[in-house]
Amino acid sequence: MGGGGGGGDNETYASMEEANAVDYSAPSRQQDSSYSVASTSAVQVEEELYKKERMTLLQENSVDSTRATDAQSSGVLDDYEVVYVKDNVSVHPTQNALGRISGRLRLIKQGPSLFMTWIPYSHGGLSRQGSNVVVKGGLRNRMGSRAAERDRNLYTIRAVSLSEMRSIRRHTPPFGWQYIIIVLTSGLAFPPLYFHNGGVKEFLATIRNHALLVRSAEDANVYLVNDIQDPLQRSLTSLELTEQPAQPASAPSQEAPWPVILKQEVPAAAENDVKREGSLKQDSRADSLRKRDHARDLSMNVLEKFSLVTKFARETTAQIFGESRMYLDGLDMDRGPAPRPPSDAEVLISGKEAQASFNKGEDSSSGLKSADEEVVDDNLSADDEGDDQAATNVGTFELVDGTQDDSPSLVWGRARPPPLGSEEWRSFLDSEGRVMDPKALRKRIFHGGIEPEVRHVVWKFLLGYFQFDSTYAEREYLIAKKKEEYEVLKAQWQTVSPEQAKRFAKYRERKHRVEKDVVRTDRTLPYYAGEGDDNANISVLRDILVTYSFYNFDLGYCQGMSDLLSPILYVVDNESEAFWCFAALMEHLAPNFHRDQNGMHSQLLALSKLVQLLDRPLHDYFKQVDCLNYFFCFRWILIQFKREFDYENVLKLWEVLWTNYLSEHFHLYMCVALLKRHRRRIMDEQMEFDTLLKFINELSGHINLESTLRDAEALCLHAGERGAGCIPPGTPPSIPDEEAGGWSD
Amino acid sequence: MSYAYLFKYIIIGDTGVGKSCLLLQFTDKRFQPVHDLTIGVEFGARMITIDSKPIKLQIWDTAGQESFRSITRSYYRGAAGALLVYDITRRETFNHLASWLEDARQHANSNMTIMLIGNKCDLAHRRAVSTEEGEQFAKENGLVFMETSAKTAHNVEEAFINTASKIYQKIEEGIFDVSNESYGIKVGYGGGAGTAGAGRGDASLAPKGGCCG
Repeated sequence: MGGGGGGGDNETYASMEEANAVDYSAPSRQQDSSYSVASTSAVQVEEELYKKERMTLLQENSVDSTRATDAQSSGVLDDYEVVYVKDNVSVHPTQNALGRISGRLRLIKQGPSLFMTWIPYSHGGLSRQGSNVVVKGGLRNRMGSRAAERDRNLYTIRAVSLSEMRSIRRHTPPFGWQYIIIVLTSGLAFPPLYFHNGGVKEFLATIRNHALLVRSAEDANVYLVNDIQDPLQRSLTSLELTEQPAQPASAPSQEAPWPVILKQEVPAAAENDVKREGSLKQDSRADSLRKRDHARDLSMNVLEKFSLVTKFARETTAQIFGESRMYLDGLDMDRGPAPRPPSDAEVLISGKEAQASFNKGEDSSSGLKSADEEVVDDNLSADDEGDDQAATNVGTFELVDGTQDDSPSLVWGRARPPPLGSEEWRSFLDSEGRVMDPKALRKRIFHGGIEPEVRHVVWKFLLGYFQFDSTYAEREYLIAKKKEEYEVLKAQWQTVSPEQAKRFAKYRERKHRVEKDVVRTDRTLPYYAGEGDDNANISVLRDILVTYSFYNFDLGYCQGMSDLLSPILYVVDNESEAFWCFAALMEHLAPNFHRDQNGMHSQLLALSKLVQLLDRPLHDYFKQVDCLNYFFCFRWILIQFKREFDYENVLKLWEVLWTNYLSEHFHLYMCVALLKRHRRRIMDEQMEFDTLLKFINELSGHINLESTLRDAEALCLHAGERGAGCIPPGTPPSIPDEEAGGWSD
Repeated sequence: MSYAYLFKYIIIGDTGVGKSCLLLQFTDKRFQPVHDLTIGVEFGARMITIDSKPIKLQIWDTAGQESFRSITRSYYRGAAGALLVYDITRRETFNHLASWLEDARQHANSNMTIMLIGNKCDLAHRRAVSTEEGEQFAKENGLVFMETSAKTAHNVEEAFINTASKIYQKIEEGIFDVSNESYGIKVGYGGGAGTAGAGRGDASLAPKGGCCG
């Protein structure tokens, strides 16, 4: 009950929703203009919030006693909670002690997300009027506002989400105050925050309770926040809540592909350690991981950014007037001191903060305690909630925090079982050759793949050329019958006489295009090696593709098809059977080649939804840089990653995809896994359409298939029904329902 | 490598006219007849020198097939130069030029420099489009024209560099606002490639072209 604060907060929400509405509804082509509209609104909202904050401070100064009595009952107020408060945390813009700005540092938990604020105290001179001039424009044109007041505005940290933080550096000089420097994922850094009353440890411990802190291998004083792989890793433990992944045939691998998590290195409040069962187990694993290169790369990255911080510190010291180059390059100066436009979540929290701070006591330890309890609650409920927030980065952490477990059933900790061999394959068949348990077979292949020696048989089942419940005899008959059928189809174009061809432009054109492309398909592979059409297998590729363009005349031939056929012919090594396997695959993938590209667009849209679900910050980033069309994943999807891996790995991947075991759209989870793996680079380097496309293109040949499969599996399990809900029925490679009709956006 | 400017190029034209081979000849100085067909887009880059300034060409080699056009169109954005390629031995690739040009005009910025390339001039015995026709089309549409052979490297270097010279000229004439990246030009940064994270606004402040040694 924050007195006058309540009604105003509602207004704040409304105005922010408006701001977002503008942004969301704008078609992506007009992103540029819509973005600026949104920013303008955001600035207004920010002004509003800022006024609120000042009001709150005024109130806080005068109604201490009210707050104290409310404190006990305010463990959870609506969705947010102040979990850490520290007073007398200061910014020192100049060497001069008089220039110090003191304020209150807070960590605020809202839903599954954690935010940090640092609000300078208002001094006696600040009147209500004073607070009103401190709005956009005030920095520029209010001659009357005092420099000190300006500095206070400038340094104010309105709610910054933890998901936007890259690292926290702790400084504990032998003399003087401890301080921290926070670097954001954008590369921006906040000025050093000096803890005049101590509390750095507690601050880190609190964050640790709500998100991951990874201590840099390079510098023990640097804590990486929400390290790149962590959302996934943390989400993995939650898999047990949904589905128990199959136990591997072999022992779990000791090698885990994740960077270091060094929880034990952050001194924790004792009460928290007691509650966090499992943290010890995790520590032992983390220890064995600490040398991973990846983690080192990251910390190198961070160190790079610290050079920016140093620069910042220099600039800060030299700073006289706040409005000039305060926040490193790239900041839109018009928007004053805020390092970036506020996110919706941030605004929500800021809006409520007035109330929160009003109701919360100063005693941060009680805040810690209740925060901890809430985390546990979240763990139990979040997965069923279907709550969007649970899928944000920070949310994902919390989802599983407290249920940490070293269970070997974790997807990522597992070695891939050996591929299905011929003996085991026979064990799946009854005496007449029927596959007794197709689901078990698919599951087996999903996890382990197939030995090359049986691949040519098993693929025919996976692709649907053979029925699982067919007998040896039936299949023999099918092969013979389908061979005849193929020959008839092939004869259709092979018997076109030169005279007829003259008047058959479509035929000529198709044949020509196929001929042009087969000689440009996988020629480095011995099976297709040579120049021109001097390789018999190249001629077979051609014959199959031209025949297919007659078999499916409406679709015809499109580039990419030769990429899809090549491995099939290589594995099956029989013209007519390869044709039918290819035709079966095309039942699923033909929409990829539709002229209107609808099949591709629907998959790219589904991918966008999946990223939104599984990595909200990355989604927001893509939105911000106008890349939500996901064209940079075009090649991945069009030909099922054929160009991204070496040939052997393509075979391994495809048989996994074709099992349709966890999802018919497992390839989309592959995309998400890959994007997540590189999310930090993508966002840090602020890749835009061009750079992003180039970056993704150049991943080709540098992707670890097994770890990507594991990531994708984990993501798919974790996303569960919500993931499936992102993918409308009929999205390729699903075979569309006749009734569902074409799906378009 | 440092550069004074970075130009984005895009290579467009029908499938099989030799777009990828032109790129490879320009970037690697070799001809590779056996080369995977392009899906989506491939990238190449090379440094050249114009007016004794190092210029980096970043070249986008696109898929030529018609059905990918809706994707290809998105690549035009922010291209400073385009090579529009046809195959002098296949008439239809010449006939399709108008539609490529229309795409380019519609989706690229209007100051994009377009060079018309009649490729495979080493196959003169199979020629189906005369040099004059190429010249005529270029003239009518305000393009620069050149016949090349990716196989023998004839005119390949010239095609890319002439295009760059035209772009450079436009910069000198002040037609481009180089701080606006939608023109497909980036100003280089002192020691290295322009890295993300540096402010957009800074490009306009950078000394024009002179910052790289």
